[in-house]
Amino acid sequence: MLIPGFKQTLQHTGLYAGFELRRLWLTRRGVMTLTATAVIWFFLLRYAIAPASNLVASDGFQQLFRDMFGSAGLSQLFAWPAAELAIYWVLSLLLLPTFCLFFTANQLCSDLERGTLRYLALRSSRLSIVLGRFAGQMLVQGCLILLSLAATLSLAAWREGGLTLPMLHAAAVISVNLLLVLAPFTALMSGFSALVRSSRLAVSLAIVSLGLLFALLSWFIFYFPDFLFLLGYLPGTQVLQLLPLHGWQTLQHALLPLLQTLILLSVAVLLLKRKAL
Amino acid sequence: MSTIIQCRDLCKRFGSKTVLKQLSFELASGDVAALIGPNGAGKTTLFSILCGYALPDSGSVSLFGHKPGSSALFGKVAALPQDAQFDPAFSIAEQLDFYGRLQGLSPKAAQQETRRVLALVDLADQAQQKAAALSHGMRKRAAIAQAFIGAPQLILLDEPTAGLDPVNALQIRQLINRLSDGVSFMISSHNIFELEQLCNKVLYLEQGQLKQQTTAADDNAAQYLTLVLEQDNSAEVTAALSQLPGLISLGAEQKKQLVLCYNPQLNNDFDLAVLQCLAANGWRYRNLVKGQTLEQKLFSAN
Repeated sequence: MLIPGFKQTLQHTGLYAGFELRRLWLTRRGVMTLTATAVIWFFLLRYAIAPASNLVASDGFQQLFRDMFGSAGLSQLFAWPAAELAIYWVLSLLLLPTFCLFFTANQLCSDLERGTLRYLALRSSRLSIVLGRFAGQMLVQGCLILLSLAATLSLAAWREGGLTLPMLHAAAVISVNLLLVLAPFTALMSGFSALVRSSRLAVSLAIVSLGLLFALLSWFIFYFPDFLFLLGYLPGTQVLQLLPLHGWQTLQHALLPLLQTLILLSVAVLLLKRKAL
Repeated sequence: MSTIIQCRDLCKRFGSKTVLKQLSFELASGDVAALIGPNGAGKTTLFSILCGYALPDSGSVSLFGHKPGSSALFGKVAALPQDAQFDPAFSIAEQLDFYGRLQGLSPKAAQQETRRVLALVDLADQAQQKAAALSHGMRKRAAIAQAFIGAPQLILLDEPTAGLDPVNALQIRQLINRLSDGVSFMISSHNIFELEQLCNKVLYLEQGQLKQQTTAADDNAAQYLTLVLEQDNSAEVTAALSQLPGLISLGAEQKKQLVLCYNPQLNNDFDLAVLQCLAANGWRYRNLVKGQTLEQKLFSAN
């Protein structure tokens, strides 16, 4: 009984994820999301990444940076095969978690509000719905990351005079790491979108909750400094540790976001199971 | 016949308000059951619990031996939930295809099934429209269509003809009637005439409690006649009919309608006697029906 149930959950999760991909590419709302992403990345590429890349690629700037910060730490950014990829790495690690809260806020709320979930709940488990929508959002974000990375690679290829294998390898490292960073935030929004019937409210709740959690932990740590390590368990805290890393060594920080995702998705499933549709 | 719905001492509260109180009933395979009750009686809450949308606070409920919402019921139990709407981003056909896929159909079979169910509700030419482009009645029919995808064994319909024009309401009634040979239905509606035509079992809910439960077998049709006259009930008509042998009681609840209760053992041809009495006095009648209407059964005794 367990295996057919598991198989059905997997099938339904795949169907939901595929339906979310269709929403991105084949619906007006999806095209608007793509356009918004294109516009944001155009400005980032045109006014941040391109000029900064020229600066970062210059030997004088690299020497100055090493003199200021040493050859370890942030200076490791120069180890990326193209300056554009190094800047993309920093910018996306810092910006995408925030964008993710907004982009993935509507995993369930609209369907809850409209009652569409009632049609779905007659045909699939609430576990499949949560996992499917989560997987769908991860696929959508994966597409958006690949598109922006392709644009960044084009910029790098244009400046360097061609595309190299290390650049493609670095792009693969970046995309895998970004998905790992975004997974807990997406799972967090699964939970909040199962809780409320408006995506705006879900975003507000997420921001307030994360802020409150950080403030409470900071206050607690102020009085009990031995618990400083707790800050390291907040979603996204590995971003600062990832910044100076490059290559597949970045995956040494993969376990924490994966565990956070698992826990947050379990909470989202519990919330939806207890929710009257 | 096997039991397909079993409810035992079902209770549901919203805050301090008890919506369902110790509700118990059973539905057998092949039943077409009507769920009747005034607004706020708990009909939609009961539907929500049966569909697995809400959990009861106490009591037990099972459909085909499984808890509502169980994966064993996917595709077996279908429903028309009240006020549920389609996703505005996709066409009706795309969504019905998707529902078919969730029910285990192949992409091709799901598309064929979509065409079939949309044709059932006369919406085949609206398949590529989005919900926002359809009228209220069309959206309702599309929602009914989704309940017929695949081969459900039990279909729960919450107010299926509310908001439909008479022609489409008739089509939906005919559709339910046609399908009821192989599928069990539970229908909630305020339209007693409609339920009378479709259902063989009636559950009457009031303030969350089951006030009455009647089946076709309970209908002692031979003991009642409902007579609708072309003229108002005069004392003269009532007096003449009261003289007929076998009459137990005579009720005049509406201006032109009389309900005659009689003992068939005393007068097996009571209906003929009534007609003869009317003919002898030159009184014309509009119709004579054996048995009581559902409305009379539910509300006259109260």
